[in-house]
Amino acid sequence: MKNQFSVLGSQFSAADRSVRSTRACLPLILILMLSTPAFTQANPIALKNAKLLTVTHGVIENGTVVMQGGKITAVGAAASVTIPANAQLIDASGMTIYPGLIDSETNLGLTEISAEEMTNDLVEMSDEIMPHMHTAEAFHAESALIPVARFNGITNAIVAPASGDTLPGQDSFIQLAGANASEMLLIRDNAMPLNFTGDERRNKGGFEKRKFPSTRMGLAAQLRQAFIDAQDYKTKWTEYERKKTEAAQSQNNKDKKPEPTPPKRDLKLEALLPYLEGKKTIVLAAESPSDLQTAVSLANEFKLKFVLNHIAHSQPVLDYVASLKVPVIVGPIYESPKEDERYDAVYSLPAQLQKRGVKIVFASYDAHNVRNLPYQAGFATAFGLPYEEALKAITLNAAEIWGVADQLGSLDVGKTANVVVANGDPLDVKTDVKQVFIQGKAVPMTDRQTQLRDEYSK
Amino acid sequence: MRFMSKRKHPLLILCLTIMSALASAQSAAPTDIIIRNAIVMTATHGTIPNGSVWIRNGKIFAVGDTINVPPNSNLTFIDAGGKYLTPGIIDSHSHIALDDDVNEATSPVTPQMMMKDAFDYQDKAIYRALAGGVTTSLLLHGSANMIGGQAVVIKHKYGATRDELLFPNAPRSIKFASGENPKRVYGSRDQLPSTRMGNFAVQRQALVEAQDYMREWDSYNEKIKRGDKDSKDATPPKRDLKLEALADVLRGKLMVQIHIYRADEMLTEIAMAKEFGYKIRAFHHALEAYKVADQLAANNIAIATFSDWWGYKQEAWDAIPWNAVMAMRKGVRVAIKSDSEDFNRRLNQEAAKAIRYGGATEEEALKMITINPAWIVGVDDRVGSIDVGKDADLVIWDGYPLSSYGVPEKVLIDGEVYFDRQQPGLGTTHYKEGE
Repeated sequence: MKNQFSVLGSQFSAADRSVRSTRACLPLILILMLSTPAFTQANPIALKNAKLLTVTHGVIENGTVVMQGGKITAVGAAASVTIPANAQLIDASGMTIYPGLIDSETNLGLTEISAEEMTNDLVEMSDEIMPHMHTAEAFHAESALIPVARFNGITNAIVAPASGDTLPGQDSFIQLAGANASEMLLIRDNAMPLNFTGDERRNKGGFEKRKFPSTRMGLAAQLRQAFIDAQDYKTKWTEYERKKTEAAQSQNNKDKKPEPTPPKRDLKLEALLPYLEGKKTIVLAAESPSDLQTAVSLANEFKLKFVLNHIAHSQPVLDYVASLKVPVIVGPIYESPKEDERYDAVYSLPAQLQKRGVKIVFASYDAHNVRNLPYQAGFATAFGLPYEEALKAITLNAAEIWGVADQLGSLDVGKTANVVVANGDPLDVKTDVKQVFIQGKAVPMTDRQTQLRDEYSK
Repeated sequence: MRFMSKRKHPLLILCLTIMSALASAQSAAPTDIIIRNAIVMTATHGTIPNGSVWIRNGKIFAVGDTINVPPNSNLTFIDAGGKYLTPGIIDSHSHIALDDDVNEATSPVTPQMMMKDAFDYQDKAIYRALAGGVTTSLLLHGSANMIGGQAVVIKHKYGATRDELLFPNAPRSIKFASGENPKRVYGSRDQLPSTRMGNFAVQRQALVEAQDYMREWDSYNEKIKRGDKDSKDATPPKRDLKLEALADVLRGKLMVQIHIYRADEMLTEIAMAKEFGYKIRAFHHALEAYKVADQLAANNIAIATFSDWWGYKQEAWDAIPWNAVMAMRKGVRVAIKSDSEDFNRRLNQEAAKAIRYGGATEEEALKMITINPAWIVGVDDRVGSIDVGKDADLVIWDGYPLSSYGVPEKVLIDGEVYFDRQQPGLGTTHYKEGE
């Protein structure tokens, strides 16, 4: 088992230094939309003679990728690519190279051992309306789960609070390598789940234990009130700003206007404002057709910009879903069908949506099993999803939905060098990922599990 | 049927009619079916690239690359269209079709529970697993109790009668557990056991009582057998179902299937089995088997494990996806099992992970969901491979089964088609694909 990286192992050993030491010797400052300064590569690297799955411009059978300064600087047929003189050359013959995979909903960094409560920071259940919870502030960069996910080529992910509340808090968009949380948290508060599946009801444990909202009408009323309160809050602040400006302008006038008193700050309502203003994305989760339509009405009532999430049991209304012209995070496609659904109802959902022109992305909705993300994309192809679309759904589509398509999601010049080298088809469960590059740097292909493997293989 | 009363759609009823017509037609006369033009993955003797399987009366009658068909014979042909054919998948750890009656969690020792008594033969989970290629499952008691109930072995003949779903004359198994689950269930009630030493004390106490019970009965039976004057006055000991079941464990009449995670507990269970003179058939979950694989192999204990599930509780923290192959290389018989209504619909993918993590061969991976779990269940002489004389439990796959892409096209049990992807009758709904 030690020799499992034999194909590439020797070349990569030089680059296999720890993330931290690289950070120490490379204090770069790159002001990008993704604010990730320090984690980057030292020398150019050229991966030669591999099959390239570019995602944007097809498959290149015998291609070369050059990475420099954390970016992809060349992609193309081996014969046409000029390799910088100082580049480290890696012969990747027989390998398949593809962009780092993106998981569109995980709980990475929010949990370690599911059953051990003290290791969980998944969702604050004390109230439903918790938009001021920031997953970025709980994100545990040293989680042993992150290298395990990375091991299978997942380089970026959404970190979302677990479901449980209608508004459980705000997501982060992370990179699965970095010296610390700051380096890994590429975008904080990039989006916010709004869950409307019925599971959010506080109706568990009999009537005596119920509290508001214990019904769907309760959930909806509470959400509506929260958004109306936020609108009022915004009006108050706008009014305050106006009066403040007037006061400043009238300072030297005779009829000097009084300095207004600022409204009391309310973190909950404040957190809702960028969403009410359509500046950030709501991730709207529902399962059944009726919940879906109620949730969409609510979102439309407040002109929220949204993507759909889950909708695992909404097969009867997929044309309606398509008419909304919003992307859908599908899955988990392994979820059991409901009693009256076909055995393959959930499996075929990605294909059914894609056929209707809906942009889809996949999510693991998990932390420990993020590494299996590509396999569900592959499995969806067995139920009619075209292969290229399956690959896009865990690369480019995800980058587009999360607003980072200029940086991630394909093998294109100028993009961040998040690149995976594997011995075959990325969506097949048999495929062995040989090396993962994040920002052009070979990340160590080790984790707690490889350490245990090696220790007990002696 | 229970679910029919809930359904209103005529399509379903029509499909059921067709299925039952098919079933009665096939049971009426001896039938010969030949599946031809298949890549036959036998699980025991390699792959036949362009093979055929001849089924007679529900059993595998011949297997090979060419089958000489006698002239004038009345045969039905199934053209596999060059697709893969494997044995039906055996799931050696399942809790489906029990309508949530998995744990009699009112006492840590409940060996008298019979899972058959809770078996819900109309549960759609049976059909959904069948659609994933599963033809036989071992339905086990849960892990709340140190000593749980006795398992039932089923064939996934969904739509048939209850008794037709019961695997005929399957050996008996009993579920033992260990570790966190019994601790948590009883500890949360301030009852014994709340620690691992408590767990093992409960188990040992039960076995000691069973020894006494067995001795009483042995002595009584001995007297009766002798037929001397003593025997006339001998009164039989009071029957106790609980101790009777445990006595059967001591007599080797019940195969012991143990839910267990940690390596140290495996060693303790091995010692306990030696102390009381019974054998352990398999460790289930067994996520740390890779740490003590030599001892497992030496004691001929199989494992029924997950491919890569981990971290869901403390005792699953040292799980590694190489566990299956590392244990296999040390000579342990390894099965990949589901323990869920999710994994049992795609166990082929889970087995394929043994290729990715540790480099199992195709046949080694296939064995993990066929002949090896068949051994754990004790039915490896009848199912689990494509060999002459075995039950014709077979899967024709759309796509390569040991990949992300393989899904069953047709599933046969005892030579009858119970699932057909082109006509997925049972389990349909008003929603039709493509609408």
